[in-house]
Amino acid sequence: MASQKPLLSRAVKLAAAYALALVATAFFAFPVFWMAGSSVKSELDISQYPPVWSFTPTFENYAKLASELDAFDAFVNSAVIVGLATTLAMVCGTMAAYALARFDVKGKEIIAFEVLSIRMLPPIVSVIPMFIIARALGIFDTYWLLAAAYGLAGLPFVVWVMRVFIQDIPQSIEEAAMIDGCSRFQTFWRVTLPLLLPGLAATMVIVFMFAWNEFLLASMLTSQNAKTLPVIAANAIKPKAIAWGLASAAGVVMSLPVVVLVLMMQRYLVRGLTLGAVKG
Amino acid sequence: MGIEIKNIYKRFGSLTVVNGVSVDIADGEFFVMLGPSGCGKTTTLRMVAGLETASEGQIFINGRDMTHAEPRHRDIAMAFQDYGLYPNMTVFQNIEFPLKIRKLAPAERRRKVEETAGRLGISDYLGRKPAQMSGGQRQRVSLARALVRNPKVFLMDEPLSNLDAKLRAVMRTEIKKLVTDLGITTIYVTHDQIEAMSMADRIAVMRKGDMVQVAPPLQVYDRPATCFVADFIGSPPMNLFKAELANNGRVVCQVQGFGDALDDAERERARAMADRHGHFAVGIRPEHLQCVAAGTPGSVEGIVELVEPLGQTTNIYLLSGDTKYVVVTDRTSLRAGDTIGVIAPGDKVRAVGLDR
Ligand SMILES: Nc1ncnc2c1ncn2[C@@H]1O[C@H](COP(=O)(O)OP(=O)(O)O)[C@@H](O)[C@H]1O
Ligand SMILES: [Mg+2]
Repeated sequence: MASQKPLLSRAVKLAAAYALALVATAFFAFPVFWMAGSSVKSELDISQYPPVWSFTPTFENYAKLASELDAFDAFVNSAVIVGLATTLAMVCGTMAAYALARFDVKGKEIIAFEVLSIRMLPPIVSVIPMFIIARALGIFDTYWLLAAAYGLAGLPFVVWVMRVFIQDIPQSIEEAAMIDGCSRFQTFWRVTLPLLLPGLAATMVIVFMFAWNEFLLASMLTSQNAKTLPVIAANAIKPKAIAWGLASAAGVVMSLPVVVLVLMMQRYLVRGLTLGAVKG
Repeated sequence: MGIEIKNIYKRFGSLTVVNGVSVDIADGEFFVMLGPSGCGKTTTLRMVAGLETASEGQIFINGRDMTHAEPRHRDIAMAFQDYGLYPNMTVFQNIEFPLKIRKLAPAERRRKVEETAGRLGISDYLGRKPAQMSGGQRQRVSLARALVRNPKVFLMDEPLSNLDAKLRAVMRTEIKKLVTDLGITTIYVTHDQIEAMSMADRIAVMRKGDMVQVAPPLQVYDRPATCFVADFIGSPPMNLFKAELANNGRVVCQVQGFGDALDDAERERARAMADRHGHFAVGIRPEHLQCVAAGTPGSVEGIVELVEPLGQTTNIYLLSGDTKYVVVTDRTSLRAGDTIGVIAPGDKVRAVGLDR
């Protein structure tokens, strides 16, 4: 008898916890669900009010996205630009972070602060000068321009976050490796890097998402050849009306790579987002 | 051969952490650096390992100048206080790592790992990750990783300080036996005088970046070079009494009876080690003082302040004039407030230099 009551109350608590989790999930998932739903509705179904819940799915929005808005080219542009930018930011940023975390660099606090200062400038302020410089250099509307811009924008974030992850790895582990026969580089490659994977994954996802969704620079610094997905998605908003179905389809296409990336990185992300994962 | 440290200095900015240390460590010697926290033991060891560069001076390992060599070229192994194990690798992979870096064949690696693991009694844990092991087991893994490649030199930085007292005592004897059997030249850093006394062939007592005394354990115990050494080694530590060489060659001591007990040889030493004002200290180990009846000829009168029975021995805290000191005896019926006589046997009274 005595043991049943706590058991019961524990069951109630558990049920409540699940219910709450469900509500929270629904709250955040609903817009996504709605977007995915709208993307497969016909133009007629989408304009219904109150909304219809049962309809015949159609892929006409996706077809339009490809034909009218050149979504395929934009997708390739986005992938190349963001891929380049993320790689650039991750490689350079991690190496800089390693130096700032581990070496006796003179004035490294100042360097770290200076790196961050790029981010203190609001993008809207720098976009006009960037436009002029890009024109002068002849790189306006190319992959290189946006890749460099996104890479540079991601760099400070990578430096600051990765520095903390690196500092979190006990120095004696690296020293043990050097005594065990590794050079500095081997130590980094064989010992430090594997321990950094969770941090790298978490950081990469964030840098990637920022660049993938960036609109302001992309719309100002491209015209034909290097248009990215956010730019063409914005084209779904026509002067007269918003093409909801088209916009939703664009949203789905844009979200997919992020979802895939997060799923791929999930194993590391959970640990990476909680700092200090390598202790113990 | 062995390790030769020639007048090394280490400065961090304006702070001098190692202040001109020189010492020769013989091939196969077990050399212990002992001193309180912050005296520069770790820094000295790290300079030998190549993890820190000396600001000045030279380091020779097995006859070769290694002052500026990378750690991997020094043929040394090291055990860290926090073990420094690779957390993402299994115990087997941890021990195998140095062999892998040296590109040994897999079969050879396996054989050596298993042999070393067996020697350290961790054969059953080879599949585990370090996080799944206790502190003592982790330290064994780190020792195995160090020993698996038959290093010429083994450096240990307080390897036992994270373990509990009982395990420390076990590991102490084990480590000593292991490296002695293998004939490895060892530098062992500790702040624990018992570890130093029990393991060392020679102890270097360090203070503020200096090696104050380098000698075999019993010599450090019997003839501490300075008050710092005398006070650091022994529990309770050596009783020290301020003393001074008077102009007429007499010794004036805080407790005159103890000063008078100095024999001729010690007086000679006192003259050599006293500072320019003629100051030095008279040192007597607590277990060498003898309690006798009050008024015994040649004894110093003392009042018992506190009796501290420890089972095996008893500490008696005494007061003579306004000088406090300790006597260690067997069990006793003395009580606080008793007045007794204390005798210092002439051959046990030492002249000890003051700290600079
Ligand atoms: N990288 C460093 N920068 C500045 N000071 C240091 C550094 N490493 C050690 N020290 C200082 O040097 C002194 C000696 O340190 P250490 O050799 O670790 O002493 P021990 O091992 O004897 O406790 C300490 O006061 C410490 O603060
Ligand atoms: Mg230390």
